[in-house]
Amino acid sequence: MAEIAELIQMTNTHFCLDCGVCTGSCPVARVFSDFSPRQIIEKCLYGIEDLSDENIWNCLTCAQCSVRCPANINFPEFIRLMRDEAYSKGYSGTLTHNGMLHTIWSLQTKGITQNRTFWIGDGKTSEKGDVFYFVGCRPYFDVIFRDINAGSIENCKNILKILNASGIEPVVSNDERCCGHDALWNGDEETFKKLAEINIEIIKASGAKKVVFNCPEGYLTFRDFYPRYFGDLGFEPVHIIDFLTEKIADGALELSEFPEVVTYHDPCRLGRLSGIFDPPRELIKSIPGIELREMPRSRENSVCCGTSGWINCSNCSKEIQVQRLSEASATGASTLVTACPKCQIHFRCAKSAFDLDIEIVDLYDLISEHLK
Amino acid sequence: MAKELVGILGINQDRLRLEWVSSAEGARFAELATEFTEQIKKLGPSRLKQAA
Repeated sequence: MAEIAELIQMTNTHFCLDCGVCTGSCPVARVFSDFSPRQIIEKCLYGIEDLSDENIWNCLTCAQCSVRCPANINFPEFIRLMRDEAYSKGYSGTLTHNGMLHTIWSLQTKGITQNRTFWIGDGKTSEKGDVFYFVGCRPYFDVIFRDINAGSIENCKNILKILNASGIEPVVSNDERCCGHDALWNGDEETFKKLAEINIEIIKASGAKKVVFNCPEGYLTFRDFYPRYFGDLGFEPVHIIDFLTEKIADGALELSEFPEVVTYHDPCRLGRLSGIFDPPRELIKSIPGIELREMPRSRENSVCCGTSGWINCSNCSKEIQVQRLSEASATGASTLVTACPKCQIHFRCAKSAFDLDIEIVDLYDLISEHLK
Repeated sequence: MAKELVGILGINQDRLRLEWVSSAEGARFAELATEFTEQIKKLGPSRLKQAA
């Protein structure tokens, strides 16, 4: 098809050496042999791939293949562009949670007045100021994933607690929308742009110069994709981890003892896609008494949490998750530390479905609980 | 759960109603549909029709 031929040119996919490193590295292909990045690329190059191919939606876009590709082919980006084309022709992945999350972000493109700041409590925030805390989807996750104890808004309270403890009273907006990450990776560029435009407008109106994120997806989307569509944003996306590492190194924040063995799971959007590998490890090690043990698949080789963009969650996703949690347990750690709200949701879902004996804890919850 | 989510989205929760009606309860279905239609009419047009 003509569209695919254009995408091949745009992304230099014709540089493919047909070596198969992508499929050999792919966590989906390992479980589900019908899926093969190499085969998708070859079919595209031979002009026999079709946008109706369901495998377009099985990719986790985790970038395990692209970091190893000797021809530097950005397969996740190629898949994203294919999804754009496929979506415009009426195709989509299989929506998880009955499309609830897709409905939420679609409704957020409308003129609604949300009630999303209910969680703030006695935390200190401002109407206007230099720092904006981009909360993300947590107020919704708090409700949706309550039954598996996985999306709790406590995490945002903890971030606010950390910011307040550092003397920052950030802007938290009731008008904030979904960052658009998932719409973008679902091929729904139009919705992504609408959401992004609203967010940029709201942040600009707050006068903020820095926008703090703890969700790696939000951070990556603001850092890499917003400028691509909207140019200079007039504010800087900052990951809370950089801020925290600095505060702890300065001695501005002190942590209490936690004598446990833990292991750390690199989320794909934080690690491979944002290039943040060392700061979370330094942060964990800054807790006195803690022992960090690495899993065999860590850093650039970390495996995805099994599903992405709220599409195509399957028994393949569960298999990836169970394998990952077993890998974590095998290190002797009692706790798997993650740094992405979605990794936490997906792993806690697998933990509750298979009754696995490992704790799954968010990095910032861990830090907040041990703040002196 | 749906009601709670609708609430966070800032949509009037009275616009959502979940009822369980069996196929043997035709009269009840008609009654509920009429009642809910009246309720929605009273609430007027939703703000969702407006662009952001």
